[in-house]
Amino acid sequence: MTPTSTQTRATTIKPTWCPGCGNFGILTAIKSALDKLNIPPHQAVLTYDVGCSSNMADFVYAYGFHGLHGRALPLAAGIKLANPKLPVIAIIGDGGCFGEGIAHFIGLARGNHDILVITHDNYLYSLTTGQMSPISPKGTKTPSTPEGSIEEPFNPLASALINHASFVARGFAGDIPHLTNLLTAGIQHQGFAVLNILQPCPSYNKTMTPDWYRQHIQYLEKQNHQPTDFNKALDLAVNQKDKLPLGIFFQQQKPTYHQQLPSFNPDNPPACQDISKINISSLC
Amino acid sequence: MSTFNWKIVGAAGEGIKVAGLIFSKTCFDQGFFIHGYTEYPSLIRGGHNTFQVAFSLEEQSAPQIKLDLLVDLDGSAIKLHQSEITDKTIILTNTQPTNNNILNLPLDELIKQASGVPQMKNIIALGASCFFFNLDLEILNQEIVKAFSKKGQEVISKNQQVAKLGYDFVKKNYSDKIITQEKPQSPQKDSLFLTGNQALSLGAIAGGMKIYLAYPMTPATSILHFMAKHQKTANITVRHAEDEIGVINMALGSSFAGARSMVATSGGGFSLMNEGLGLSGVSETPLVIVNVMRPGPASGMPTWSGQGDLLFVINASQDEFPRIVLTPGDPQEAFQLSKLAQNLAEKYQLPVIILSDKYLAESYFTVKKFTAQHTNQRYGLVDKSSLTQDKPFPRYQNTDSGVSPRTLPGQANGVHLCNSYDHDQLGYATEEIDQRNKQVEKRNKKISFILKDADFPQPQLFGSPTAKHTLVSWGSNKGVILQALKQLPDVNFIHFPCVWPFPLEKFNQLTKSAKNLITLECNSTSQLSLLIRQQTSINITNHLLKYDGRPFYPSEIVNYFKSKTT
Repeated sequence: MTPTSTQTRATTIKPTWCPGCGNFGILTAIKSALDKLNIPPHQAVLTYDVGCSSNMADFVYAYGFHGLHGRALPLAAGIKLANPKLPVIAIIGDGGCFGEGIAHFIGLARGNHDILVITHDNYLYSLTTGQMSPISPKGTKTPSTPEGSIEEPFNPLASALINHASFVARGFAGDIPHLTNLLTAGIQHQGFAVLNILQPCPSYNKTMTPDWYRQHIQYLEKQNHQPTDFNKALDLAVNQKDKLPLGIFFQQQKPTYHQQLPSFNPDNPPACQDISKINISSLC
Repeated sequence: MSTFNWKIVGAAGEGIKVAGLIFSKTCFDQGFFIHGYTEYPSLIRGGHNTFQVAFSLEEQSAPQIKLDLLVDLDGSAIKLHQSEITDKTIILTNTQPTNNNILNLPLDELIKQASGVPQMKNIIALGASCFFFNLDLEILNQEIVKAFSKKGQEVISKNQQVAKLGYDFVKKNYSDKIITQEKPQSPQKDSLFLTGNQALSLGAIAGGMKIYLAYPMTPATSILHFMAKHQKTANITVRHAEDEIGVINMALGSSFAGARSMVATSGGGFSLMNEGLGLSGVSETPLVIVNVMRPGPASGMPTWSGQGDLLFVINASQDEFPRIVLTPGDPQEAFQLSKLAQNLAEKYQLPVIILSDKYLAESYFTVKKFTAQHTNQRYGLVDKSSLTQDKPFPRYQNTDSGVSPRTLPGQANGVHLCNSYDHDQLGYATEEIDQRNKQVEKRNKKISFILKDADFPQPQLFGSPTAKHTLVSWGSNKGVILQALKQLPDVNFIHFPCVWPFPLEKFNQLTKSAKNLITLECNSTSQLSLLIRQQTSINITNHLLKYDGRPFYPSEIVNYFKSKTT
C-alpha cells in the first residue's frame, strides 16, 4: 500500500539538489524530528528563503511559505505572532540569513521571537553558482572574488549569542541522528532558536568536503559542556578556530516575544479571533 | 456665518503644537466646528512652527489663509506671514510696542508676575486669545487639565493662573479689539475631534485588523502611536519592527496565518516594501499597506504634504498583478475606506494600498461620530468539513472570479505552499508555459469583479451637474475643494476615493456632459490627468497644481477661477 502524505511528509516532487548535497541529510533529519515529536504536517509551518536550501519548499508536505531572499525570518515571526500555537521553522541559507537578511536575524533574536531558524551553511552562494557568502573565510576565491575575498567571515553563533538568542546550536548534515536530536530540541525550545548546520556543497565548495568536516568537527556532549554557561558558549563560538564544535552551545528559558505582548491571550491568538462584531466606542 | 481663523507661530520647542491642540479643543468644546492645520520642520528644537485653527458654526473642511488673530511667540510672525495678514488681523506679540492692530502682550513680565517659567508663554497667549473670540476661560482651564494631567496639580494650577493673566491683560488693555461676541448654543455632542491618521486607525480596527506592524516614518508615525497606545483595549498586536522590509514580510506571515494585518509608512518606507508588495500580489496574501505621502524623492520634506506617489503606488513592484489603491478625501472617508480595505484585501486576496498624505494625516477635524458597533464577514476561508483529503490543498485553483479558496495553517487536510515563485495550483514552483499563463490570467480575472463590487468606491460628483467647469481630483483635496465650491456656483467637482483599478465606467458617465475639465493635485506633472489619459483617452489640459509641500487653500482655488473669468 502507498504510504499517505502524512506518513511520508513528502510531496510528489523529487528533490532537485545535486548528488551529495548536504540538504538531503538536513531534510531527512527535519522529518525525523517532526516524527519524533508527533507533529502532524498540518500543525507544522515552515518558511523558506531563496537558495538551494529553500528549494526544500516543494518537497515537504507541511504548511509552507516560500518567500523572498533574506526574508524567511520575518515571515516566520509573523506567522508565530498570528498563531503562537503552531511550531514555526525558518529554512534559510548563510547568504539569506547573514547577508541580505541580517537585520531580521538580529532584531528577531533580540525579541526572543519563538521560531526555530535553521541556517544551512555551506560557506558559499551556491544557487547563484558559487560566489562568496558572509561565512566564507577571508581570501576565498570565487567568481565574484577572483583574487580572494577581502572581508573577514561573519560569526553566526557568536552573533546569535551576543544578540540574546535563547537557543544556539550547531549540527552537521552528515550526522543525521545527532542533527535530529538538535532539531528536536530546537523545535521544543520556546524562544528564538538558532541551529547552524554545516553542509558540504559538492558542486561549488571543493575545500569543505565531507572529509574536511569530519576532520574538524567535535561533539560538545563529549566535552561535558554545560549549555547554561553563556561565557563558555561565547568562548567556544569565538575562539575555536581550528575545530568546529557541534551540539547545543547555549540554552536559556525566558519569556518569548508574543508572551510579553500587552494583548497576549494563549487561548485566543489573533488568527483565531472572531471579528464578526467589533465595538470601537472605547477608542474614540 | 463667520469663520474665524487663529494662528500661533514660534520656534520648535516653544510649545506651538501643544498650544494649537489646546486651542482647537477649546473651540471644539465651546461648540464650534474646527479645522486645525500645523506646519513644522523636521527638528525637535529651533526652526519655525505654526498651528492654525479655522473655526465656525458651520463645518470646516480646510485651512484658511487670511487671519483674524496671529499669535507671535518669537518675533518672526510679521515678516514670515505677511501674506496672511489683512488690515483687520490682530497680531499679539511680545517683541513690538502696541500700534494699531499690533498689540503688545508682555509675556516675560506676566511670567514674572506669576513666578512662572518661560515655557508657559504659549498658555498666556491662549488665555489672551480666548478673550478676543469670547471663548470661556473655564473651558480652556479644563483643556489645560487634560493636557498636563501627567505633570501634576502644581503645573496645572500654574498654567491656569498664567492663562487668566493673559486673558485679564488683554481684556483690560484691548477690550475694544474684541473680534467676536458670537457663541455656539451648546457644545459639540455628536462629533469627534480627530486627525486623519486617527480616523484611519479606527477604521482598520473596526475592519478586524488584528496585527499592525510599522517602522516609524513621518507622517505615518502617529498611526503606530495610536495602535500601540490602544493595543490592549482594541485587542490587537502591534510591533515596531527592525525595518520596513521586516515590517511587510512579517505582516505577510501573519496574514498567511489568518490574522488581518496592516502596515503603514511614507514614500521612502513604501519604496523599501516594494518587493514585499509583489510578494503579496503573486502569493495572493491579503495585506493593507498605508502610504502617508510627503514630498520627495528620497528624504524629501519629511513633515510636509504632497501627492507625488499616485502613479508610483499603482505601478510599484516588478511585473503585473492586481491591486487596489484607495484615496480617502477626509477623515470620514479615511475611516470608511480603511475598514473597507481590510475586507477587500481578504475578499480578493491581494494588496490594498491606502494613499493618504501629511495634510489629511496630521490635520485636526470635527467629524460626525463613527458608528460604535461594526460587523465583518470573513472571506474565502474553507470550512473544515469540506477538507477530507490528506494531500496538498489546491490553494491556487482556477475559479470564475480568480479568487481561490484558502486554508489556514493548523487546518487538517489543508496543507499547501504559499509561494513567491510562479507556481501551479498546489503552490509548487513551476516554469511551465501553461501553468505560468494560467496563474497570471487567474490573478488578472479579479479586476473586473472588483470593479463590479457594490462596495467598490466609485468617483463622486459634487455640485451642479451642469456647471461650466469641472474640477477633477483625488485624496485629501476633497475638503479644500468643497470649501471653495461654496463660492463657485459655476464649478462642480469629481472626487476619486479609489483610483485603481480605474473606475472607467463611472468616470465616463460623470464626465459625459462636462464642459471644461481641470485637474487639481499636489504634484508637478498632474499624475491624475496622465492616468485619465491612459485609461480613457480623455486629454485634460488644464491643471491646478501645487507641489511646495503645502495643501491648497480654498481661496487659491477661488482666485484661479476668478482670474479665468476676468
